[in-house]
Amino acid sequence: MELSRRDFLKASAAAAAFAAAGAPLLGSNNADAAEAGIKWGKAPCRFCGTGCGVLVGVKDGKIVATKGDPAAPVNRGLNCIKGYFLSKILYGKDRLTKPLIRKGNKMVEASWDEAMTLIASKFKEAIEKHGPDSVAMYGSGQWTVFEGYAASKLFKGGIGTNNIEPNARLCMASAVTGFMTTFASDEPMGVYDDLDLGDTYFLWGANMAECHPVLFSRIIDNRLKNPAVKIIDFGTRRTRTSQMADQYIKFTPQTDLALLNAIAYVIVKEKLYDEQFIKKHVVFKKGKTNIGNGLEDKFKFTDDPKPMTFDEYKEFLSTYTPEYVEKLSGVPAAKIIELARLYADKKRKVNSLWTMGFNQHTRGTWVNNLVYNVHLLTGKICRPGENPLSLTGQPSACGTAREVGTFTHRLPADMVVTNPDHRAMAAKIWGIDPKKIPEKPTYNAVEMFRALDRGDIKVVWTQVTNPFQSLPNLNRFRKGARKGDGRFVIVSDMYPTKSTEVADVILPSASWVEKEGVFGNAERRTQQWFKMVEAPGEARSDLAQTIELAKRLGHGNLFPYKYIEKEMWEEYRQFTGGGKDLAPYEAYVKSRGLRWPVVNGKETLYRYAEGYDPYVKAGEGIKFYKNKKDDGRAVIWARPYEAAAEAPDKTYPFWLCTGRVLEHWHTGTMTGRVPELKRAYPSAVCEMHPDDAKKLGIKNLQKVKISSRRGTITLPVDLNGRGKAEKGNIFVAFFDETKLINELCIDAYCPISGEPDYKKCAVKVEKA
Amino acid sequence: MPVSSVVVQCLEGTADSVAVRISAFTGVEIQGVLPDGQIVAIIEADDIQNEVDLVSKLHDVIDVVTVRLAYHNFEDM
Repeated sequence: MELSRRDFLKASAAAAAFAAAGAPLLGSNNADAAEAGIKWGKAPCRFCGTGCGVLVGVKDGKIVATKGDPAAPVNRGLNCIKGYFLSKILYGKDRLTKPLIRKGNKMVEASWDEAMTLIASKFKEAIEKHGPDSVAMYGSGQWTVFEGYAASKLFKGGIGTNNIEPNARLCMASAVTGFMTTFASDEPMGVYDDLDLGDTYFLWGANMAECHPVLFSRIIDNRLKNPAVKIIDFGTRRTRTSQMADQYIKFTPQTDLALLNAIAYVIVKEKLYDEQFIKKHVVFKKGKTNIGNGLEDKFKFTDDPKPMTFDEYKEFLSTYTPEYVEKLSGVPAAKIIELARLYADKKRKVNSLWTMGFNQHTRGTWVNNLVYNVHLLTGKICRPGENPLSLTGQPSACGTAREVGTFTHRLPADMVVTNPDHRAMAAKIWGIDPKKIPEKPTYNAVEMFRALDRGDIKVVWTQVTNPFQSLPNLNRFRKGARKGDGRFVIVSDMYPTKSTEVADVILPSASWVEKEGVFGNAERRTQQWFKMVEAPGEARSDLAQTIELAKRLGHGNLFPYKYIEKEMWEEYRQFTGGGKDLAPYEAYVKSRGLRWPVVNGKETLYRYAEGYDPYVKAGEGIKFYKNKKDDGRAVIWARPYEAAAEAPDKTYPFWLCTGRVLEHWHTGTMTGRVPELKRAYPSAVCEMHPDDAKKLGIKNLQKVKISSRRGTITLPVDLNGRGKAEKGNIFVAFFDETKLINELCIDAYCPISGEPDYKKCAVKVEKA
Repeated sequence: MPVSSVVVQCLEGTADSVAVRISAFTGVEIQGVLPDGQIVAIIEADDIQNEVDLVSKLHDVIDVVTVRLAYHNFEDM
């Protein structure tokens, strides 16, 4: 019988699925024939921070197929539903293909030379008149490592300003400061293997089923094999994750701080802690309290850590009785006690997982500290199957924003601009005068755009991000960008966005496999890919764009490479010894990613653990060796409950929480271009509890006006959606560029991390 | 017409009955039911929208725990 190409394709599809399901021999012999003419290359997925491996099939210069990469340890041959759209995001109809320059109210096509000449002249003019701190770069956790490194090197080492920030300030900064204050080194000790090896999973403010579906599937697979596995979902909104969890624990927004202290209270009161672990591996500290919310322009905060004893810590906890915290949080005291015992159960391998619910929080650093406290009290850390694991939202929030260090205060590999030794080391690697790198950080992301509004920053260049949709208190920043008086906004992107609307120059960018790159995921896995297809029209990588500006500003000497990516990688790698070690470029070309530290070609599963981490000596067991000032111990912090920056009152009686939905990623720049996704979830809705709707006389799908002290939008109410708001709460996704919910959000931020709180502000809801 | 393959994970002891139910969906072709409760299926539809709709429908079938994508070819799209 003659087989058609379609039969071959089906055989190939079936073979891939059987292999991923663990039954490769069931695939057909006809599978190979379908591969004819398709060239396959490996790449990490372009979407979230999970870092799934994808095989990309290219034929005649176009992507024609994708597969879950069976050799990728993260996802083992299977992708989530977003895998259907990976290639489509490159082929949207309104892809930007030429530079555009504002002429009056119109954006007019220009040559690259014309656009870059204009940009360079604006940079030079601002630097000459107002100094280097009048120009800024705002980048992204979607930058490749090279793009972030080049931007940091140009701004800190060339222009001589610390005015560089990533959008990761809006999503991961509290995780960073949580790690830094507890362990003195960013990023987790555990790995995704813990999702297979543990038996107890506490999820805090994380809708994993929709936002990290492949990782959630690993927990679900684990539970199918092991009936002892329990999933406990703490949230302020019922989600698809809540439906799959064994327990859903609803709590009043902001009271996660009190709940974690109450869990610690029970563990201490009932002596469920691991005394030996605490004696060997922990110190106790307290910091300042009543630390503010960053609402004032130029807000500054410096903590003042003081040591305390275990007894003093116990005294601190004495406030947080389950009965007291029941009143604050709404979680019954008996449930708090039950869950504290579950956390401490010596027979259980316990994991905590979290994302934006913790991080986008005016006490984001504190709540990260508090979850570590529970793991440090019980000794359930740095062991296979039991760890706290901070999940990430962007594909290289870890690899680029955090590891390269594209924040105002950072240099690569945990180093900071405030430390003269770190500046000296960076200057040596970069071949510059150490005085060139300013010793003071300038602006966090919110402060950077406040400075643009005030006119202290004149020129800002954004790459791979959409701040004029994603910033909180958005009205102020959108108006600020167009105030004139020398302000100049450059936006590099694949598609028109709310940010290109306010731009003076728009540059078309190459994306994903249209360029060579490296991303780093949430389990410290660094993954490399090669360019596989050409970018459309005249689009260029952000790396090429940044280096072009460097040349025009007289800093071309900072980028002397022939094979840019490989040589830049080897230069960057010089920053990364002592526990953050990266391997030579070739190792990443050959592998499906390696988890750092990579020493002598070997990756590390569990940081700080003997037998896994090469920096822990024989006999040490566990050593938090990066925290030298506390003799290799981690810190348990006394961090109190403090109220949200803005809570519901008589005028604004509802909590507003914003977030993501499965179909759309962040501000919808990419997913909004996929007609299928646009149809599946075309516009934002207001999730509301049916009892609240009934009280207000609002019916399902009726339009309502939502107002905060900062703005108003009109949306239909959804009482039967996938997510269910709790009473007194509403939820709106932030992807919809026609309904800018962030205009309502408050620009309050965690004073330690600088990360804004998108999960809590007060609003009123009225019939429209 | 795009072609894709998915792995459907079912609750213990339900894979055979789930396979019977989902094989009734137009565009879903069961390739095999594995002993550990996984079903391998081919999805065929006129366009990617209908493909994704089918996958969403699979997700909503009782006793289905997860649906994951293994392979996707859209060379004639």
